[in-house]
Amino acid sequence: MAYVHVDSAVKYFAREDGGDMLVLDRVSFDTREFGTTCLLGPSGCGKSTLLNAISGLERLDQGRVEVIANHGASKLHTPRLGYVFQDPRLLNWKRVEENLTFALKGMGIPQQQWPERLEKYLGIVGLAEFRKQFPLYLSGGMRQRVGLARGLVIEPEVLLMDEPFSKLDQLTARRLREETLRICGRLKQTTVLVTHDVEEAAYMGDRIVILRARPARVIEILDNPLSPGERDIDDSRFIQFKKTLLQSVLRLMETNEVQS
Amino acid sequence: MALNEKALVATGEAGAMAGEGVALPPRTQTGPAWEAAKTVGLRAGSIVAMMIVWWLLTFFFPPTLIPHPIDTLMEVGAIVNTGQFLSEMGATLRRVGVGFAIAMLIAVPLGIVMGTIKSLENFFEPPVILGLTMPGLVWAVMAIMFLGLNETSAYAAVAITIMPMLAISLWQGTKSIDKDLIDMSTAFHASAWSKVVDVILPQLVSHILAAIRYGLGLAWKVVVVVEMFGFSNGVGYQVVRGFNVFSMKQVMAWAITFLVVMIVIEFGIIGWLESRVTRWRPRIQAWRR
Repeated sequence: MAYVHVDSAVKYFAREDGGDMLVLDRVSFDTREFGTTCLLGPSGCGKSTLLNAISGLERLDQGRVEVIANHGASKLHTPRLGYVFQDPRLLNWKRVEENLTFALKGMGIPQQQWPERLEKYLGIVGLAEFRKQFPLYLSGGMRQRVGLARGLVIEPEVLLMDEPFSKLDQLTARRLREETLRICGRLKQTTVLVTHDVEEAAYMGDRIVILRARPARVIEILDNPLSPGERDIDDSRFIQFKKTLLQSVLRLMETNEVQS
Repeated sequence: MALNEKALVATGEAGAMAGEGVALPPRTQTGPAWEAAKTVGLRAGSIVAMMIVWWLLTFFFPPTLIPHPIDTLMEVGAIVNTGQFLSEMGATLRRVGVGFAIAMLIAVPLGIVMGTIKSLENFFEPPVILGLTMPGLVWAVMAIMFLGLNETSAYAAVAITIMPMLAISLWQGTKSIDKDLIDMSTAFHASAWSKVVDVILPQLVSHILAAIRYGLGLAWKVVVVVEMFGFSNGVGYQVVRGFNVFSMKQVMAWAITFLVVMIVIEFGIIGWLESRVTRWRPRIQAWRR
């Protein structure tokens, strides 16, 4: 129901020595409507800055970011954005369900809807029985799921995810990726996921936007030939697509080295 | 890389079956009761040891200097029985309480502002540091000279003496606040009120509790000084009276009642408050034996 339109986004950061550092260099892309768009690039390439610009946490110096919702009649409604962070940024002094109601309260969702939403989304991430627990009593994977549930519970038109699996161990990350893909498909979610992991991008992304670093610039935009259901990390078609992606990324790293 | 992936797939399946993420097991059942008993025992032992040292000292000094512990405890009993305890201690506690409340009302916002706004930090830093080094006695004298010998000057002296210490504690606490959580609350459109109550204050709680501890300790010391100057009630006044009639027994007896009240507040009220507001934090004490 919504997509993100980024049009020549430019962002400078102030450097220690007083100069300006270009972080985003005329970045333009459209995300898919429904499904997941991955922003793939090396670490520190400004992907998170881009995500913050989409969410409005960060202002652009030039260019535009628009979240376009196709509601037909109700044009006045501003699209709702959900955010899932790298280290989940939970309020550790609040119980799992209170972390979710914090988001519901902030987004102004009527209180009579809360119980139903809590039940639904804590169920989806498999934490129904832990709703009264404090986050620090949970494992890292479970905490990340609380973060995911908090992003989903507000029923956002666009869900922004900033390397949500990168701090988890491999097995937990893999399992959570599968679940997230399933959940986002089921909820008809438009998702923007930032990652530096090629396999993750190939697995999660319906569209992959490849960025080069310092400053971030769009190198290539690829659509995944496989539908979410067809993606199996042992399947030859998946491996083939992953190779294509990897080659693009490697090529871009080489050109980066030549330039510097 | 390829090998690695094979291994990941093989074990990944098993991992998915078993289900990742199990809540921490509840704390061991044999531990807490024994630990609590040990803590109480050690504290009681420490008090008994101090009494023994006191008793030993009576052999070397005349009773006018070091009264016998039993005599002193009898005096404490007398103070409590005559009802003097309630009225005198009540007066002192009220002065400490009101002064402390005033100091908190000023110091909490001041500390938060100093921790968040750089220019105000620079502006308020010198007075706060100067205030910290100013002896409580000077504040007491100034308060009495400006406001006269009344309750207001006692409140003012207590408040102004402990205020800088509280402000510094809150100021440093505010600087250590996690900015990522503020960004998170902005991303979910939390109101300013919600940011303060749900995100900022909970991160300050341990700093506030530490401030309360030090602040109360400081407040007691100032309030007795103020009371010595010519108030006609309060624990400080009673200590001076004991001094004037050269009764070390009375001085000690009042000091002891004072200490008991402090211990009740420290371990009872503040301890309870602390365990209540920090119960979200798993107790990990393996490093502390």
